[in-house]
Amino acid sequence: MSSRESDRITAAQQTLDVLYDISQLLNTGLDKETLATCVGMIESGVNPEALAAVIQELRRESQALSGRPTTNGR
Amino acid sequence: MSSSLESLVTSLVPQSRQDATLRKELVSHCQEILSSHIGQSTDNDIGHLADIAKRTLLQSAPDGTTALRFTNLLSRLLDQPILSRKHASLQFLHALSLSPRMSSISPAFLPSLAPPPPPSRPPTTTPTPVDSGPPAKLPRGKSKAELLREYRNKIGRPHLPEHLILRDTLYLLQGISGKYVHFSASRDPNGNNELVFTDDPTYVISRPTKALVHRLAEVGHLYIRVDAFVREREGKTGVGMIEQSLCHHLQTQLTEYYRLIAVLESQMASHTSGDDPPGQSSTEVREETGLTLKRLDVWIEDWKLRMRMMSVCVEGAKGAHGGALVNLIHGYADNGDPFIRKFTDQLLEEVSKPFFAALHKWLFSGELVDPFSEFFVAVDPELAHLQYGQPANDGIGASGGDGGFGGFGDNEDMSVEREAGLRLWESKYRFQKDMLPAFVGEVFGRKIFSTGKSLNFIRYTCHDSDWVATQEKLSNSSGTLRYTDIAGLERSIDTAYQIASQRLFEVFFEKYRLLDHLQALNHYLLLGYGDFIDQLMEALSSSLSKPANTLYRHNLTATLESAIRSSNAQNDSPDVLRRLDARMLEYSHGEIGWDVFTLEYKVDSPIDTVIDSEAMVKYLKLFNHMWKIKRIEGTLTKGWMRLAGGSRTFLQVPELDFDWHQIRIVMAEMIHFIRQMGAYCQLEVIECSWKILLEFIQKREGDLDALIEAHGAYLDRMVKKVLLLSPKAGREENLLNQVRDVFAIILQFREATDDFYNYCLSEAARRDSEHDAARGVFTGIPASGSNRHDPEAVHDILTRVREYGTSFSERVQAIVQALSTHTDLDCRFLAIRLSFSDFYKTRKEPQKS
Repeated sequence: MSSRESDRITAAQQTLDVLYDISQLLNTGLDKETLATCVGMIESGVNPEALAAVIQELRRESQALSGRPTTNGR
Repeated sequence: MSSSLESLVTSLVPQSRQDATLRKELVSHCQEILSSHIGQSTDNDIGHLADIAKRTLLQSAPDGTTALRFTNLLSRLLDQPILSRKHASLQFLHALSLSPRMSSISPAFLPSLAPPPPPSRPPTTTPTPVDSGPPAKLPRGKSKAELLREYRNKIGRPHLPEHLILRDTLYLLQGISGKYVHFSASRDPNGNNELVFTDDPTYVISRPTKALVHRLAEVGHLYIRVDAFVREREGKTGVGMIEQSLCHHLQTQLTEYYRLIAVLESQMASHTSGDDPPGQSSTEVREETGLTLKRLDVWIEDWKLRMRMMSVCVEGAKGAHGGALVNLIHGYADNGDPFIRKFTDQLLEEVSKPFFAALHKWLFSGELVDPFSEFFVAVDPELAHLQYGQPANDGIGASGGDGGFGGFGDNEDMSVEREAGLRLWESKYRFQKDMLPAFVGEVFGRKIFSTGKSLNFIRYTCHDSDWVATQEKLSNSSGTLRYTDIAGLERSIDTAYQIASQRLFEVFFEKYRLLDHLQALNHYLLLGYGDFIDQLMEALSSSLSKPANTLYRHNLTATLESAIRSSNAQNDSPDVLRRLDARMLEYSHGEIGWDVFTLEYKVDSPIDTVIDSEAMVKYLKLFNHMWKIKRIEGTLTKGWMRLAGGSRTFLQVPELDFDWHQIRIVMAEMIHFIRQMGAYCQLEVIECSWKILLEFIQKREGDLDALIEAHGAYLDRMVKKVLLLSPKAGREENLLNQVRDVFAIILQFREATDDFYNYCLSEAARRDSEHDAARGVFTGIPASGSNRHDPEAVHDILTRVREYGTSFSERVQAIVQALSTHTDLDCRFLAIRLSFSDFYKTRKEPQKS
């Protein structure tokens, strides 16, 4: 049982590696952790394009936030 | 879901780690995006995606190494078993990769209904509309089209907005009239509908649009026809199985069509729901709308073809029925267009199912299951019941012990039954050529027909249903018959045919001993048993020379039985013997027993299928002729014996010796004639024909039809040759009549010679007594004066004898001549036999000269 579990984990690891390589190749700018989260979401049925839009949106948000000084008084 | 979203947010927007409200806001915003319908289209083709990705990679790095590496990675990814949505992940990555560069290449998906909005385009709710979208708003200079539109608006006759006409068109596709366009029943006698555009003063429908709608409406029109057909059949009773399955297939097709329409409708709805009031149809909306009339046209194109095919089928189905319908559809299968071929094949597969079910039943169990008479075998309703009507115990072989000849009950019953056998075989089932599907082929159709008929026959007439049932079980395991497997079909037909005909032969020759019966017919009716016939003739000759009305059947049968007992025939099986019967034909006044006596051989079902009543008549005809020859031969032989013996011992009338010599010459000629005639019939005709028939039977090929035919040919051959029939119409029996005349003359001659013999006998006795008286020996009462030598009387008798002699010679001469020009080779040989030493030829030449 445990060996099967470990097999699974290594396989998942490999898959993630491959995906990460592709991601690098395509220049998506995602780190491994984020990628893992995204792939997990996609596997659970999230629309990939929508998710891509979300990522972009968040990046933009982050840019906008860092571009200006913190406004909420801190 | 939301937790992973949260982690995404925190990792991507570091500021939100501290700020809970910002985080919450962002998360909810993200959820909104996710639940919006961005990227509704799903392109499941991973290969296509990979292609696009590679292309972008090649653009960025033209040396191709990255692309190669991508391919490698992709193949490795595909090997991984973990992910179930690889294409989705890939799509995600690809979408992300595009965005930083802001390339305007939206993945150019196939002419799909709703091209996915370029991922770069921000949702409308985006608070920060940064760099997005297609290069928005064209330069504001008005295009010509816009100018035109504005002008039209100004004069109050704008074009009808496309989404309205589109909705109408979708209705049209379902055969419903729309608001602006509607079907109207036209005056066309075929009941075809006509497309009418409603005149609306406020809108104009442009000519190209009208043309387009017309094109699209064709599908709707065809749909109406197909749908009406299906509906009509649904409600009706007595619709054939094949038609039912056609309807079924059409119905599934239509369901598919409904599905398409529904999809189209949803596309239209999703894109026009948010649309502004009709007047303000902006170009943007138009471009983005998934559905336009032209796109609709493309989408419907495939269905247009299908609908056309279906409508053609429906049209054909109105006139055709059953197999003919299958045939009609099969006619379209030979099409070069793979689409049409495929469609037709599907249709045929479906439609031919009931046909093959019926075929299976017919081929393997010999039963016709065809409630709507669609099969290419039709049953004669009058004869259908007969299969059960035959009593199972009509005494085949079972009651052989009684050995009597009267064991057959009344004659009438027999003749009815006898009638039934062949009729049942020949006309119970009919072969309908126009119902035969073309993909089966007529040869195979005939085979199928005959196979089923044989099985049916074995089953019901030969009472051997167990065997058929076993066969059926065997065949069931060997798989079903289908349209797509024509080669297999032909194979199974062949085997079934062989098995059935083999079995039929077996049944006939082993169970019902057909060969024994044929042999018996040959022996008894064609005088194959010489000793039996001699015995019979001897025993009967005295009673047969009496007038016909003094004969009694029971006497005849008794004589027949004694003849059997005293000859070799007693060794025949009792089953054969009890079928033999003697009887008299219908006689008229003045006929004697010889003319009306006949032997008879009775057969019953199912043998009477082969030896039917017609064949029996022929056998009787042959018997009649042969019997006559035999009788003449017997008479002549007896006459010759008396004459030859008597003339040496007591017919001592020296002055008449020459006449006796003449008589002997003529008699020898007659004996030669009759013997050659008999030998010809027995050896050249009957035996040869018998051999041919035997050869056929030993080969055991073909079915019952072939057997019947072979037997018929055997009989016909004999009838033709024994009776010397000539093929010339109207003069068939000329020769036969001549031969019969000759027979009559021979009999008269025999009578005349008998008279002469008697005269000579009394004359010799008179002379003897005179002689004795002269010697003084008293040898009895002296003859009275009247009984003296009377040259008048003897002259009279001699004239008769001579007259018959010469007329015999002349007739035989004519017969020989006619025979030598006979079309039949065997008959010509008979001429040669008769005049072997050119006897008749040499006699003729002196006459001429």
